[in-house]
Amino acid sequence: MKLTKARALILIAFSVPVAIELRTVAGFFNVELPLIAVAVIEFLFLALLFVLYGLYGEGSESAA
Amino acid sequence: MATASGGGEFVDKFPDEAAVIKASFLIAFVSLGIGAFFGLVQALHRTNVLRVIDSADYYTMLTGHGVLLAIVFTIFFLCGVFHWAVARSLDRPAESALFSWAWVGLMTTGAVLATIAILGGFVPNLGMSADVLFTFYAPLQAHPVFYIGLAMFIVGTWLSGADWFLSYRAWRQDHPDERIPLQTFMVLTTMIMWYISTLGVAVSVVFFLIPWSLGLIESVNPLLTRTLFWYFGHPIVYFWLMPAYLLWYTVLPKLAGGRLFSDPLARVVFLLFLLLSTPVGIHHQYLDPGIAEGFKFIAMTNTMFLLLPSLLTAFTVVASVEHGARQRGGKGYLRWLGALPWRDPAFTGMALAGAMFAAGGFSGMINAGMNINYLIHNTLWVPGHFHLTVGTAVALTMMAGSYWLVPQVTGTKLYSRPIGLLQVIMWFVGMVFMSNAMHRAGLAGIPRRTAEPQYQNFEFLTPIGSIFELRVQIALGGTLLFLSVVLFLFNILLTSLGEESDRPVDSHLPEPLSGPEGSPRILDNLAMWTGIAAVLVVLAYTLPLAGIIQNGGGLFGGGLPVPATVSAGFDLVLTTVTSAFNTLWGVVA
Repeated sequence: MKLTKARALILIAFSVPVAIELRTVAGFFNVELPLIAVAVIEFLFLALLFVLYGLYGEGSESAA
Repeated sequence: MATASGGGEFVDKFPDEAAVIKASFLIAFVSLGIGAFFGLVQALHRTNVLRVIDSADYYTMLTGHGVLLAIVFTIFFLCGVFHWAVARSLDRPAESALFSWAWVGLMTTGAVLATIAILGGFVPNLGMSADVLFTFYAPLQAHPVFYIGLAMFIVGTWLSGADWFLSYRAWRQDHPDERIPLQTFMVLTTMIMWYISTLGVAVSVVFFLIPWSLGLIESVNPLLTRTLFWYFGHPIVYFWLMPAYLLWYTVLPKLAGGRLFSDPLARVVFLLFLLLSTPVGIHHQYLDPGIAEGFKFIAMTNTMFLLLPSLLTAFTVVASVEHGARQRGGKGYLRWLGALPWRDPAFTGMALAGAMFAAGGFSGMINAGMNINYLIHNTLWVPGHFHLTVGTAVALTMMAGSYWLVPQVTGTKLYSRPIGLLQVIMWFVGMVFMSNAMHRAGLAGIPRRTAEPQYQNFEFLTPIGSIFELRVQIALGGTLLFLSVVLFLFNILLTSLGEESDRPVDSHLPEPLSGPEGSPRILDNLAMWTGIAAVLVVLAYTLPLAGIIQNGGGLFGGGLPVPATVSAGFDLVLTTVTSAFNTLWGVVA
């Protein structure tokens, strides 16, 4: 499935509530996740998405 | 679903109706812009990020934010959508364009008067203010102009409903044996619910608040005005939601590339909302001391029944959207989600609004639970909840729907789909930040409706994170939401100024997968459903209201005696209803 800009934007949008509540979910398992860890995880996700968009996104050779 | 017979865009076919709809949308969008600006100022003020107003003016802004967004924006937009839906589904213009303009004019005059009264709060020398918040019951008192404006606005909505009923009556004469077209059915059931529920606020405003604000009576019974407000204050939630549901049921499946899953199920959902929306308002008053716990329990039970139409909607709309995705080549259990038209801001906005509504529904169950409500009552949790429901399920659906509806009534193409897409996603992200932080702040006990949520020698604590983080989240979310509104208004303005197009949008709505033919005709018996709804209201409210008037200081409060004839009447009602209840209970037991 081609990663279009719209799909990438939707994935980014849905990553926000997941990131915000990540510490709550971790708290259920007695894991105290600092805010900076959440920021790093979100940053890594965005970086991964950026790479995937470069590889398989609109206009890339793979997508074509 | 009857579709408008082919040929021609809406604006060409129904130019008078398109003009009325454009006027309604214009007032709605102006209100949206002002209300959103007020919201930004409040978000930054409350969180102590940026303070450009005095804290005393916070309440003027809060009232303006609530009234302009929750009443003026939503209801004007709703009137535009309903006017469009009735004309296109009955395939006929309104009976009288003059009458249509009359309700637009009356509603506009009322909205302007109420807004003037609110904004007067910024000018102390004017002697006019209405810092009574959106929940405008006593003991807070506004200038009479505020109440008179609201009364005119409500009467205007009644006339708009009459307009649509007149269209339906004329259509029925030409089509005596046909089922009511689905969109018109949705409009009519919603308006019946609105007529029943606005009786409470009409009585409160006309008989108590206006005379009180004019000095004609010395006092009012605060609990009575609160109860009459919430008699209307919960059904208004569904009055906001029903146009969103109309768009989810009849437009979203088409945008997804499919068709509505079931017409009969949609009719059942709207009837359930007609029956159950009103006899639940007391669930907003769990902490009011003058209402017996038993009545609160009944209200809670009725409220939980409202989950049924919401869950039916979730099933039907998701099934319709999935059908659309599979028509577009989507496969698998979840992979079909990728086949949806995410580039289309109208689709994406409505889909995101629906997803947020699910979250709002869950937090609403906490509000509605009589015992667990005490945990979050009057805390920031509550604004967090309704910013997911009216603030996203309704407002985002209305904005997203505009990207499909506005071109139909202006005859111009949407200015920018990418800006529209960015706008709806920005709203989603902004609301995630703001609403999540509000819910969590509410759990920490932070109160709502205050410019200064700090107390001396006391610190709120959160189980995870810090209060500072929550404040930053609210400020960030509020800013994103405001920017989203700016993008929306910019896009719509340039759309309306664009060049006319022969086919600005594909406005055809396909027939449902399961049509109305197989469903019982009794679903269309509006008189019967109205009667049942009225009986449920009488059962839910007679005893509580009688108790509030008899035990809570009379009709006008202040310890003034209830007139002997009125008191005798209440005694009779109480005795009759109690004995009827006991008889019924005896039979059941």
